[in-house]
Amino acid sequence: MASASLQNRNRRVGAYALLGALAMLGLGYASVPLYRLFCQVTGFNGTTQRATDADAAQTKVSPITVSVRFDGNLDRNMPWDFKPLQVTQTVHLGARSLAAYSARNLSDQPITGRASFNVEPDTAGKYFKKIECFCFTEQTLQPGQEVRMPVSYYVDPAILDDPDGKDIEQITLSYTFHEDRTVAQAASKPLDQAANPR
Amino acid sequence: MATTAETFQAHGDAHDHAHDHDHKPGFFARWFMSTNHKDIGTLYLIFAIVAGIIGGAVSGLMRLELEQPGIQYLTIWATWFDGKPAEMNAALHLWNVLITAHGLIMVFFMVMPAMIGGFGNWFVPLMIGAPDMAFPRMNNISFWLTVAGFCSLMFSAFVPGDTSGYGAGIGWTAYAPLATYGSSGPAVDFAIFSLHLAGAGSIMGAINFITTIFNMRAPGMTLHKMPLFVWSMLVTAFLLLLSLPVLAAAITMLLTDRNFGTTFFDASGGGDPVLYQHPFWVFGHPEVYIMILPGFGIISQIISTFSKKPVFGYLGMAYAMVAIGVVGFIVWAHHMYTTGLSVNTKMYFTAATMVIAVPTGIKIFSWLATMWGGSVSFKAPMVWAMGFIFLFTVGGVTGVVLSNGGIDDNLQDTYYVVAHFHYVLSLGAVTALFAGFYYWFPKMSGRMYSELLAQVHFWIFFVGVNLIFFPMHFLGMQGMPRLYPDYPAAFEHWNQVATTGYMIMAVSTLIFFVNIAYSFVAGRKAEGNYWGEGATTLEWTLSSPPPFHQFETLPVIEDAAHH
Amino acid sequence: MESESATTMKFGEQARRAGSVISAIGLSLAALPQIALAQATEAAATATAAAGSYVPLKPVPGIGQPIDGAYGFQEQFSPTGHYALWMHDAILMPVITIVSLFVLLLLIIVVVRFNKRRNPVASRTSHNTLIEVVWTLVPVLILVGIAIPSITLLARQYKPAPESALTVKATGNQWYWTYTYPDNGGFEVISNMLPDDEAVKRGEPAKLAVDNRLVVPVGEPIRLQTAGADVIHSFAVPSLWFKLDAVPGRINEKVLFIEKPGVYYGQCSELCGARHGYMPIAVEALPRDKFDSWVLTQGGTKDHQPKAAEAVPAAADAAPASDTPAPAA
Repeated sequence: MASASLQNRNRRVGAYALLGALAMLGLGYASVPLYRLFCQVTGFNGTTQRATDADAAQTKVSPITVSVRFDGNLDRNMPWDFKPLQVTQTVHLGARSLAAYSARNLSDQPITGRASFNVEPDTAGKYFKKIECFCFTEQTLQPGQEVRMPVSYYVDPAILDDPDGKDIEQITLSYTFHEDRTVAQAASKPLDQAANPR
Repeated sequence: MATTAETFQAHGDAHDHAHDHDHKPGFFARWFMSTNHKDIGTLYLIFAIVAGIIGGAVSGLMRLELEQPGIQYLTIWATWFDGKPAEMNAALHLWNVLITAHGLIMVFFMVMPAMIGGFGNWFVPLMIGAPDMAFPRMNNISFWLTVAGFCSLMFSAFVPGDTSGYGAGIGWTAYAPLATYGSSGPAVDFAIFSLHLAGAGSIMGAINFITTIFNMRAPGMTLHKMPLFVWSMLVTAFLLLLSLPVLAAAITMLLTDRNFGTTFFDASGGGDPVLYQHPFWVFGHPEVYIMILPGFGIISQIISTFSKKPVFGYLGMAYAMVAIGVVGFIVWAHHMYTTGLSVNTKMYFTAATMVIAVPTGIKIFSWLATMWGGSVSFKAPMVWAMGFIFLFTVGGVTGVVLSNGGIDDNLQDTYYVVAHFHYVLSLGAVTALFAGFYYWFPKMSGRMYSELLAQVHFWIFFVGVNLIFFPMHFLGMQGMPRLYPDYPAAFEHWNQVATTGYMIMAVSTLIFFVNIAYSFVAGRKAEGNYWGEGATTLEWTLSSPPPFHQFETLPVIEDAAHH
Repeated sequence: MESESATTMKFGEQARRAGSVISAIGLSLAALPQIALAQATEAAATATAAAGSYVPLKPVPGIGQPIDGAYGFQEQFSPTGHYALWMHDAILMPVITIVSLFVLLLLIIVVVRFNKRRNPVASRTSHNTLIEVVWTLVPVLILVGIAIPSITLLARQYKPAPESALTVKATGNQWYWTYTYPDNGGFEVISNMLPDDEAVKRGEPAKLAVDNRLVVPVGEPIRLQTAGADVIHSFAVPSLWFKLDAVPGRINEKVLFIEKPGVYYGQCSELCGARHGYMPIAVEALPRDKFDSWVLTQGGTKDHQPKAAEAVPAAADAAPASDTPAPAA
């Protein structure tokens, strides 16, 4: 049957193939951080950018304006009320602006929430810079507590140089509040049952 | 210098017949601990037929329910299955379990084991003049992992899938979050785990094929002299090797999201549900080529044999498959056109997807050119192969329609897509499987089948499957979404036609099994080369069935062009 | 079986499970008179648009819904729909038909001319560089010909909506849709499938008809945004050539433009659990003035001011108002 040298060659080729498979397995897992990084860098999927006060100060304010719309959503079973305090704002490109949402815990337990977010049209993601945002950290509301959640942002005037971005007249900034499932697993259940009386 | 399959001349096999009687192991050792590539191939084929019967029966249940609008049978089945009077949601959940089972069984436990495990194991070593696979014991593990995976999937039907009932109702794609927090029961874990097992088996199989093909070709058989079936298996093995680990990563993350509190695909923890679809389709698109490429190889062998001509444009055929394999890795997001991709992304994936039509066209036209000028005998395998060419063309051109992101906005997730992928897989891959079966069955069993029944099988099957799937194009264009157990009355006409087609197809499958039974009971003994002068690859130099160990003295391949 | 299946559905229960209590209350106030009206005056689609009045439009058979036994796409009522349909019918369909028939023709010629009786000796030809180049390049040219209108179509579909466009958000829930109108005070419409008998009574197709439609103005761009509340759903209307996934944790957006008043049906198009097949979509396009009066019936406003009445405290036990017609009742 197979000679010793053939066995050695087989083992070598088999090992290379196995390495290839392992590399792809690694790539599969790496897709999570790589995708996040890719979105953050390119604004893919309407991912917004983070900016510092210094960045904002250095950006020139343009006479051209853009409309910004604010949208708020709740994950299922998230026992909060969450809505923007303004439907739209008209802002100058490059000008630092402040908007706010209100959030209220409707349940009888403290709930920790975390907001996911994106902008549409998604081309605008690369140019939508947030300086401060409630979405940067988790938010905990006590039973019945109502808070005002501010977001400080500007729209980079560079959007005018982007052939896909220059036609955008209105950017929608959307947030969805989720209960942080790792903090309290059962907290949303009581509301679910109360709202389902049958 | 490229020579084609017909120029192979094998020497040194004359002694092999003498080995037929040597040390065959006992029944248990032979079939459960087998390390013989032919026995493992046989096991894979039997397994695939069993899985195919189950998966086909599931689709029969689906077509029965879809014959009329409204829910006719699901409530009854769910009552029987759950052992208690079924609520509406339990009936509808059962539907989702059926569609999930049909998809997973047909992809992972029917087409792949038959193509790669069955025909690949049987004929790759024979065609390259090797005594066996490179890692015979790993070959055995591959098979039993696949069986274990199938058992895990079957088992999932008997544990709760979500609050509505038993079984995993997540679709074969298992999209998050429906497959994470959207389905609470352990059935989903078992279904996902079954893919881990089957995937691990397939990766081992891929390593085995790559090593065998690279290292164990008979002297003189260069890569450019390999039969096209071996080429197709080489490309397929690479696709398996590189795509399945990506699936493994994605579904492992599903499992940890479900059970260990990670949030890879859960927006509540900073994850992204759409992210799951990217690695899934990075695997999923090569997967469709994994299912069809071995079929391409089988068809090439058959057409060359029955036209009594070498394959036209051998190198073009081989590298077209390589091109399909490579491009197959960079087109995945055409499955995701409606997820909210940006316009530039959609434009790229539209263009890249269309590129695949070019190597596919090369293959279709090369097959036609192989027949052109040939002296074609229309035996059963050839009739099946010609049926394949036409059906695959129809499935291919609707793929060009779907590749357009703007058109797909209306057709995504409709019956048009169902029609498309059944034309390339159910009518493409399965037709190729039947073609290969009729081509090689006497070689594997030593018995001829009834040619008449094989021809009748083809024509009834051809009518049946076209009646099932062609009207689905119309349903899809009218907007009928896929994966629906129930539909508005306006979809009734074509659904009834499709269900009628299923019954016709089922009759043809009965004929297939009658034919197998006939050949074992009354079939003529098959000669070594029962197809005659057109059959030139190395397996035809051996007896039918081949000896338990073949090519202990390696055959030497001479290049006829140099004589 | 059919009627039994319909009566076992508890849509009201589904809707309340969402926990979206505030809007349920708001809606129940508006929905009650609306249903009464619908039952009293059927076929009165042309009723005068007095402030606060609204009569659901009657669908026209064959328009905005599938036709039994039809061979092609539904008739289109949006500019992208017309362009896409033209591209399919004038470019793609002829090309794929010709390619398929060409392959079939070659197969028939092989059967007739190159069978072993007519051609007992096979040729040995296995190469012809010229023909191989031809059958590589011709498909490339055909595909380039297809790609040009295809890219144009994509670019048109992605033209962003103007600032003035009405914004509507469709949220997919297991297993119903909610439609929010942020520009009109932020009211919300909960849309459940009608039971079959109720749909037939209203002259609508069963499995497509809903209790509360997505009402939008005709002849102007609409910024349609989609979101998922639990799992991924997909908002699809075939006669408007529109399909967009509703993903939890983010919104998607696309312009919807409807050319003619009418009712356009669609269905959820991403597997979302047991009742995936039972969360249809009905879009009702009305002239602007009728749309405005419909907004008033929903307690909405014409301007962009947030609705003050939203401060209604969310008493969960106040929910069992009949926000949707209970099919069993």
